[in-house]
Amino acid sequence: VPGAGAALRPCSSRVAQDGINRAVIDRIIRVDHAGEYGANRIYAGQMAVLGRSSVGPVIQQMWNQEKKHLKKFNELMVAYRVRPTVLLPFWNVAGFVLGAGSALLGKKGAMACTVAVEESISEHYNNQIRTLIEEDPEKYKELLQVIKQFRDEEQEHHDIGLEHDAEATPAYSVLKTAIQLGCKAAIYLSERI
Amino acid sequence: VRCQQYPPLRALQASAALRAASDEHKKEPWASSPQQHFESPPAGQQPEEKPQGPHPSYTGQGGQESEDYESEEQLQHRILTAALEFVPEHGWTAEAIAEGAKTLGLSVAAAGLFHSAGSELILHFVSDCNTKLSELLKKEQKLVQLGEAEKKPIDEFLRDAVEARLRMLIPYIEKWPQALSVLLLPRNIPSSLNLLTSMIDDIWHYAGDQSTEFNWYTRRAVLTAIYNTTELVMMQDSSPGFEDTWRFLENRVADAMTMSNTATQVQSTGEAVVQGLMGAAVTVSNAATSRAVR
Repeated sequence: VPGAGAALRPCSSRVAQDGINRAVIDRIIRVDHAGEYGANRIYAGQMAVLGRSSVGPVIQQMWNQEKKHLKKFNELMVAYRVRPTVLLPFWNVAGFVLGAGSALLGKKGAMACTVAVEESISEHYNNQIRTLIEEDPEKYKELLQVIKQFRDEEQEHHDIGLEHDAEATPAYSVLKTAIQLGCKAAIYLSERI
Repeated sequence: VRCQQYPPLRALQASAALRAASDEHKKEPWASSPQQHFESPPAGQQPEEKPQGPHPSYTGQGGQESEDYESEEQLQHRILTAALEFVPEHGWTAEAIAEGAKTLGLSVAAAGLFHSAGSELILHFVSDCNTKLSELLKKEQKLVQLGEAEKKPIDEFLRDAVEARLRMLIPYIEKWPQALSVLLLPRNIPSSLNLLTSMIDDIWHYAGDQSTEFNWYTRRAVLTAIYNTTELVMMQDSSPGFEDTWRFLENRVADAMTMSNTATQVQSTGEAVVQGLMGAAVTVSNAATSRAVR
């Protein structure tokens, strides 16, 4: 139901819908949107705890890039008329809790979380790129470009995390595995629900 | 526009194009068509382009089809459309389909093409109405884009869209309660739910909905409730021109707008209260610290 802040656009901004594989595109955009939404909340949680520390500016910069990613997927979601995942309110809370929780383990903990999440996301984007190329690289050119660019930026975040001593976190491999398992589950669910 | 009932078939588009082509070139010698169809790109590879010439039928035969060749889906579509005329008299039954088939010059046995005649006829009708609604909304949108019409406020848009869609039921209103109960049969629920949700999604899309959060679901749930309740009210309405129904619709849409405005107000009041409390807490802690220092 529209509220004062809801966006109502003046005209249709749809992408031409003929000939695209709706099932594949629906899933891709839905899960990517959920992913960027979650990533935003993770960085928000990290900033809430570490905002005034020395890594604050680094996290803020990565967060700003994620905000841009989310904005782009919001646009794509409207253009392709894709339904968002029902689990968004859940990812809202879970993302923030993960970000804040990892930040409470210290700066290295926050960086470890970043490394784990960004590695999962990069791998996930690579899978999608492969899927789209197998389908039809010409038809999905714009989407492929977006995903490739975002994958490169997530890879950068991953490298920044490593630079800031993520691997020196106590129980780094346990933490990383746990977070990546969580990411896999989130991806599986968001594609379907 | 998403057509829910029949999956898009290349043969369907080809048949439609065949009909258009045959209308223009009634005397065209079909013997030469194999040549033609190898020269022009087959429509199958580029479905968005208009097919240039004859296309191999889905049974794989060459270009020697007769001018009235059409796919089975198209034939079923035509029979069901013709059958609608007989629904007020015969209800949503195989009899109506048989009568419809007769008007097309087909045998009454054509009704045997349909396994569950009533359900298929009703689903066809609903799908048809939804398509008509989409086209109407698209046309209106074009007028607004061209500047020839004013953009409607959201409540008026929703009201008009739901009213337009419900008015399509008027010729069949006597038999519609029967149709509703058929649509609720367990085996029909997936299809009827599908048709309902895509219709509601269409209305919101043309209303300009750009939500990408949980709001997306809330909006559609509210509009579905409005549509369903208004439909039920319409079944029982005996006022002239269904004016009671339209008034009911107007009130429900107004309620929904109020609810959403209230929700926004509650949220911003809540945020303001939280900020106030945080400020108070900071002040108290500062006062306590400065007192402790003294």
